[in-house]
Amino acid sequence: MTKYVLRRLALAVGQLVALSIVVFSLTAMLPGDAAEVRQSEHMTPEQVAALRNQLGLDRPLWTRFLEWAGAVLHGDLGQSLSSGLPVNQIIGESIGCTAVLAGVTVLLVAPLSTVLGIASAVGENGRLDRVITAVTLGLAAIPDFVLALVFVAVFALQLGWSPATWVGVTDLCTPELLALPVAVLLCRSLSLLTRQVRAGTVTVLHAGYVVQARRLGLPRRTVLLRHVLPNAAVPAVQDLARLGDNLLGGVLLVEAIFAIPGVATALITAVQQRDVPTVQGLTMVLAAFALLIHLLADLICDRLVPRTELLR
Amino acid sequence: MRRVITVLLLAVPVAAAVLGPLIADLFATQGGLPYGVDGPLGTDNLGRDVLAQLLKGGATSLGVAAGAVLLSYLVGGLIGLTAASARSRTVDDALIRPLDVLLPLPSLLVVSVVAIGGGASLVKVGLAVAVINLPTVARLVRAAALSAASGPVVEALRMQGESWWRIQLGFIGRSVLASVTADIGTRLTLAIFLVASANFLGLGLSPTSADWAVSIARNRDGLLLQPWAALAPAAMLVACTLGLNLLADGLLARARRLEVR
Repeated sequence: MTKYVLRRLALAVGQLVALSIVVFSLTAMLPGDAAEVRQSEHMTPEQVAALRNQLGLDRPLWTRFLEWAGAVLHGDLGQSLSSGLPVNQIIGESIGCTAVLAGVTVLLVAPLSTVLGIASAVGENGRLDRVITAVTLGLAAIPDFVLALVFVAVFALQLGWSPATWVGVTDLCTPELLALPVAVLLCRSLSLLTRQVRAGTVTVLHAGYVVQARRLGLPRRTVLLRHVLPNAAVPAVQDLARLGDNLLGGVLLVEAIFAIPGVATALITAVQQRDVPTVQGLTMVLAAFALLIHLLADLICDRLVPRTELLR
Repeated sequence: MRRVITVLLLAVPVAAAVLGPLIADLFATQGGLPYGVDGPLGTDNLGRDVLAQLLKGGATSLGVAAGAVLLSYLVGGLIGLTAASARSRTVDDALIRPLDVLLPLPSLLVVSVVAIGGGASLVKVGLAVAVINLPTVARLVRAAALSAASGPVVEALRMQGESWWRIQLGFIGRSVLASVTADIGTRLTLAIFLVASANFLGLGLSPTSADWAVSIARNRDGLLLQPWAALAPAAMLVACTLGLNLLADGLLARARRLEVR
């Protein structure tokens, strides 16, 4: 097991290094550098060149990369081009909202999808299974932003249960405020994950060892909890990690629609202003987080069902 | 019954996307009021006919996603096939491992980073979506091709002196087909979602474009005044993805039945 953990950790480190190269080159090699973004209309080409020299943009790409990577390793993500604030501060101010949104969603989605998926699989082709399958299939087909618009129109504008945007909000964690964005995030992730849990459980329920355990007369609960659940959980945990990706996309859209001052809003703003250091910093933090989730998922799966071929 | 629903759900948006641009001008009413009631579906926030916009907007929504998935299957399929039939482990690793780096990247994040340079463009969004799908497609094809590629038939073909391309596409490629058809519905749905999300956020097309996702974003403020302006393109997108999901479910069930046999 330790050998597997070490290899998996090495892979994660390699991924992080490769990731930083990808992020840096994607953002740094784009036409129109920071000096052109910062220049005002009155500047002569010589002044732009001087600014470029001052920002260090005339040096070769790999020197800049090493310098940037070194600073990132020291926890310094640079300064925003548009506001001049440290990127660290921008991330620190915006990450709270995003963490609350994603956290609440994950806390709700993990147990709910497990219960619904297993209930659906145990009564395969029964009435409950059909209802759950139909509803999740339908919900999975509706894009996040369509769902968000409909929810806003119905619950915020017509019924007035909840504010339509987060503009001018100071206290972030009130239930009325969180209800709509979390509901939007929940609908899609819950339906996707429930379908995966159901499919995984159905496969395990038909597996030879479960049939044998039943034949031996083991109590239904023992079969479900000791034999079905750990094996069915492996693909579900992997899917939960992949859901992180889905969730992040959802958070991006939900933050844009509800005007939530989170990481995604900061990222979109930075992209629009071509604020390269901020985009690099935010991307690195978000992508590193995604890497961490995948790493945790793989390690959890290794604990649940020890085997080595998961790495491949 | 289920099959009829699936075909209907898919046929309407696809027909609108493919044939729509040809006949859209027949329905265009000129210079209406914003969110007016002229025409069968009213007008949008710029006073343009919603039905005409709807017919024009499908090509970008579905076309870019389909193109991106096709591209990822072409490139990823080739990588997967080569990796599966590589006789040395090093070649296999060298082809597949680098893609592992891309695997955990959040997809909408990639699209937004790509969109940062030199203004937004649809080609870039399409390429980004193709790149995002590349690692999973390559892995899928590699896994599906592995048993066929190391079997006795390929060995015999090789000894007969058949060309690499003929072995790859003629035999191994065909054995991968079942897994690919089972996967294509889900992949296409995700690609449509991704392209639509990028367009909705303004990372792709210009804000006046007729594209379905852009139309939804643009007409969202009028949702209570003239709901069709935003709901009609939304319905098109939902019909398409719902149809694809039903299709994917059916194909998966069929694949599983074949496996059991």
